Amino acid sequence: MAATPSPRTHDRLRRAAARAASRFPALLAEAERIAATVAFGAHGRRRAGPGETFWEYRRHRGEDGARAVDWRRSARGDQLFVRETEWEAANAVYLWRDGSAGMTAHSAGLAPKRDRAAVCLMACASLLARGGERIAALGETGRARAGQAGLELTGRALADGPGAASSVEAPDLPRHARLVLASDFLDPPETWARRVAALSAAGARGVMLRIIDPAEEDFPFAGRTRFDPAGGGQPLVLGKAEAARAGYGALWAQHGAALGDLARRTGWTLITHRTDRPAGAAVLALYQALDGGV
Amino acid sequence: MLSLGPLAFAAPFALAALVALPLLWMLLRATPPAPRTVIFAPIRLLQRLARTPETPQSTPWWLVLLRLVLAAIIILALARPVWQPDAGSGPADPLLVIVDDGWTAAAAWPAAAAEARSRLDAARADGRPAALLFTAPAPRPPDTLRFGDAGDAVSRLEAHEPRAWAPDRADAAQHLQAALTAPGAPARIETIWIADGVNWGEGDVALARAALSHGRVRVLTPPPGAGPLGLTAVEAQPDGFAALITRARSGGARSVTVTALGADGRALARAEGAFADGARVLRLEGRLPLDLRNRITRVQIDGEASAGAVQVTGDRWRRPRVGLVEAEGGSGEGQPLLSDIHYARQALAGISEIVVDDLDTILEAEPSALILVDAANAQDPRLDEFLQAGGLIVRFAGPRMAVRSGELVPAPLREGGRLFGGAMAWDAPQPIAPFADDSPFAGLAASSEARVTRQVLAEPGPALDARVWARLEDGTPLVTADRRGDGWLVLFHVTAGPDWSSLPLSGLYPAMLERVLALSGGGTAQPAPAAGGAWRLERMLDGAGALTDPRADADPIPADAFHLARAGARTPPGVYAIGAASAPLNVMRPGDELAPLARDLPGAVYQTRGQGRELRLTGALLALALLILAVDALIALALSGRLPRLPVRGAAAALALAFGASLATSAPADADDAANALEVRFAYVLTGDSRIDAISRAGLEGVSREARRRSAVEPAAPQGINMETDEILFFPLVYWPLTPDAPALSAEAAARVSAYLQGGGLIVFDTRDGRSSAGLGEPHPGLLRTLERINVPPLERIGRDHVLGKTFYLLSDFPGRYAGGEVWVEASRDGSARDGVSGLIIGSADWASAWAVDETGRALAPVEGGERQRELANRFGVNLAMYALTGNYKEDQVHVPAILQRLGRQ
Repeated sequence: MAATPSPRTHDRLRRAAARAASRFPALLAEAERIAATVAFGAHGRRRAGPGETFWEYRRHRGEDGARAVDWRRSARGDQLFVRETEWEAANAVYLWRDGSAGMTAHSAGLAPKRDRAAVCLMACASLLARGGERIAALGETGRARAGQAGLELTGRALADGPGAASSVEAPDLPRHARLVLASDFLDPPETWARRVAALSAAGARGVMLRIIDPAEEDFPFAGRTRFDPAGGGQPLVLGKAEAARAGYGALWAQHGAALGDLARRTGWTLITHRTDRPAGAAVLALYQALDGGV
Repeated sequence: MLSLGPLAFAAPFALAALVALPLLWMLLRATPPAPRTVIFAPIRLLQRLARTPETPQSTPWWLVLLRLVLAAIIILALARPVWQPDAGSGPADPLLVIVDDGWTAAAAWPAAAAEARSRLDAARADGRPAALLFTAPAPRPPDTLRFGDAGDAVSRLEAHEPRAWAPDRADAAQHLQAALTAPGAPARIETIWIADGVNWGEGDVALARAALSHGRVRVLTPPPGAGPLGLTAVEAQPDGFAALITRARSGGARSVTVTALGADGRALARAEGAFADGARVLRLEGRLPLDLRNRITRVQIDGEASAGAVQVTGDRWRRPRVGLVEAEGGSGEGQPLLSDIHYARQALAGISEIVVDDLDTILEAEPSALILVDAANAQDPRLDEFLQAGGLIVRFAGPRMAVRSGELVPAPLREGGRLFGGAMAWDAPQPIAPFADDSPFAGLAASSEARVTRQVLAEPGPALDARVWARLEDGTPLVTADRRGDGWLVLFHVTAGPDWSSLPLSGLYPAMLERVLALSGGGTAQPAPAAGGAWRLERMLDGAGALTDPRADADPIPADAFHLARAGARTPPGVYAIGAASAPLNVMRPGDELAPLARDLPGAVYQTRGQGRELRLTGALLALALLILAVDALIALALSGRLPRLPVRGAAAALALAFGASLATSAPADADDAANALEVRFAYVLTGDSRIDAISRAGLEGVSREARRRSAVEPAAPQGINMETDEILFFPLVYWPLTPDAPALSAEAAARVSAYLQGGGLIVFDTRDGRSSAGLGEPHPGLLRTLERINVPPLERIGRDHVLGKTFYLLSDFPGRYAGGEVWVEASRDGSARDGVSGLIIGSADWASAWAVDETGRALAPVEGGERQRELANRFGVNLAMYALTGNYKEDQVHVPAILQRLGRQ
């Protein structure tokens, strides 16, 4: 230890910590609000499946075996009934929010991509927790947990966790787990193809939630502009930024197409979300993608 | 001081800094504009781009040039340049500015004042003491002349108006003498005399001498062709008027227009002409009919705003005052409608002011004409005096005159008269012959109906023919007239009434009388001075020749001295009145002349005004530099891409800034629409009253908050909209507070509102006054005006089972800040295109106040019925939000039990 931090530094750190800590409740509140909206729109996971709770009696069909007949009910009438139970096979969903430096970039007046990704994932987590699913933050909270405890742990990790890429590359996953990866997917498509292929090989399926800052798509820069990479590195100075707009647009579209291609090949779902749009739409799409039998 | 032609520099050493400009050039070229920095995540993509756009390593040459120009301008400004420096101005001598401010300077006053001001400003800039001396006498004795701060002199000059009378230079010379001999007066002064170019006699030399004894004197004369003009006299002519104009300098031709104005300021006639080269006097004649001429109250020279270019005619040309002399002992007995006086009076009523009385009273009223009917006494000696003094007497014949004509007739009469058309007569009644060309009646059409049955006959004689103005067809005279002294005596050979002829019954009669009365105008002299009393100023001419309210401190003029009075400081020109009579006092009097200012005043140097005015350029240059600096800042912003939304660069950016307001409104509007369309938002209409708007906003925020808390509706922040400009299509609910003075909608806005309602929108009108807005009593004026152009369907009071009462909460009434008000909705629940959903909700409960909360959720306004009512109002708000979003969905829900029952039966 070179020197004891002065009280001033101490204060600064404490304030920064408080600010960072206060982000979680704010994000959680927003996530809950969005989750509430979406929950009213889609009606949960109410359907027949393996489970304990009674769901409905239905007529016996030819493909049902004789063992499926509920004799107690069928004895009351002339017809055969099958007793169905509600689907309660809780599944594990692993959420991952990219924590790379680029995710902190944002246009003026908009939330950072990192926060938006966290909000979407937490809202999704909340919805899943209501449906009885087990959730976990990939690579950060260990095994998937159900209920409020799982939601709390996962939410905290999503809001403030490191979100390292290593979590995706060397995942600790059960087979057939479902995954949600929220990132800007700005690493080369080949990198992502490798990661997703590895995940798919482990039997995982999932959704890629691609968060885009509008400035990245529209490239609204003009004049002499210096572009700093978010995580430090060699800046790039363009004398006439507007001249690069067309070329950049083509590269961006190519990158997007590569990602779409990747999703199609691997059977994952790609959801693209711009931070200047309401998060509710992204959450709804996310939830439906998860609900739709991933 | 360094001079280059007409340009000089007061601080030329500052110019040495120009040497540094090349250095600045190098510096500027080497420094590129600072780039704008952004944090950009997908920089890897950018780096893959071929780096085609080369970064300019230096500032563009034209920008460097602009900055160099900027620097050069600042250097030039610091060198204090002067355009056309006044070489003669001594550095230290106090400055005396003499300004002629008489009426002769009034027309060119702005130029003269500007000249004086520029001299005084220069003195102020140099820190020289200065004094200002006006030559025209002031109504109050002026302060003594003092040399002091030139700024004081400037403010005195700014407050000064030219006088309406002539300057008195001798008096000014005395003032100057007194000031220069007073203790503490400067020994040497420099004098600039801004002269009006007119010679005002001995005082000129005295003034020049007084100034010369202490230093140089420069006389600035008006430029040639711009000297003052004076209107010396206006004469009445039978067919119009004549104006006499004089000028001081005879050189050069100059065209002049004269306008005659009526009492209401309307121009009645205009006369044009031009001074010939070398002429000092011009006579212009304007033609106009008599009755218009009599309305002239003022004649003025156009474009010459001075008191001397105006002649006020006053009473003189007004409608003549005519005295109708009654017979002694009264003529009112018998039949007044058949009396002679009645007919004469009717004929004269439209063209003159009539006094009917006995002769004594009439003469006191100073008439310009007397009418004597047959019954009147014509023997009075005062009648002859009246004629000699220029009066007009019109006599009518009659039985008495036929017997005894007396002396007061234009031509001797035969005794007895003549009777036509009677039972015992040979002749038929005679018509009137056409009027001769030399008669005053020339041009009138002799009436064919008028017939003369009796007349008095003139004794034929050699003089008679010239005195006859009108004849009957047989040649006997009908009207004769004769000059008596300065006046006229006119005799009609018939009665004034219809006893002797039908002439008084025809339209010819008043026309003839009018022609006769015209004689009274020109001939009358000034009214005879009254025995005592004084003329008092009634309307005053100001220096610019406009009639204004009188000054309170003007001296009255004794009645017997009025004709001698001249316009001056104590007796300003204008209209003076004594009792009912009024008379003008003009600046110029007949016979006045203007002479040019002598060119040989002792020791004076003459210059023409308006040439070689000194101009200091420092201020203008610095302003220009500031402007260039602003442009440079804009360019710098544009070059570094910090000017978004303004797709212009360089110098055009400055222009665009000027139009920026209009540009900026259209582009964000679309962006706003996009944002409004993305989320559910309630809108409120901006009323322009910031308090109401704030409450509307807080109210909708409160509703949004409650809806979010209690229901699945998740509204974003409410939006204020301007009905005239904003698109409302995207809002499910528009809250519209109405003030009593709410303006009517424009046609476009009304069409938008109608389209919005057609498309399923919901507008809540709130008159905010807690009364039944559309029920009994006065309708709300703002509501009426607002709904005027909107296609409003039939309305009804909201029913107990209206769906608005059950969209979320079950409500039976809908209180806001006030309870118990009525709520009106669309009446036609069935058959409307919107499936029975009302697009309009009209109430007066001031809902927004009940809903309004601040950021922390505290209520902002008190509610009549306390917290319970606020809760009900909030419930109504939630219901409203639900109603806006779901329409009559809940209406169908109430059928659910019935549907279930039916299903169960199957």
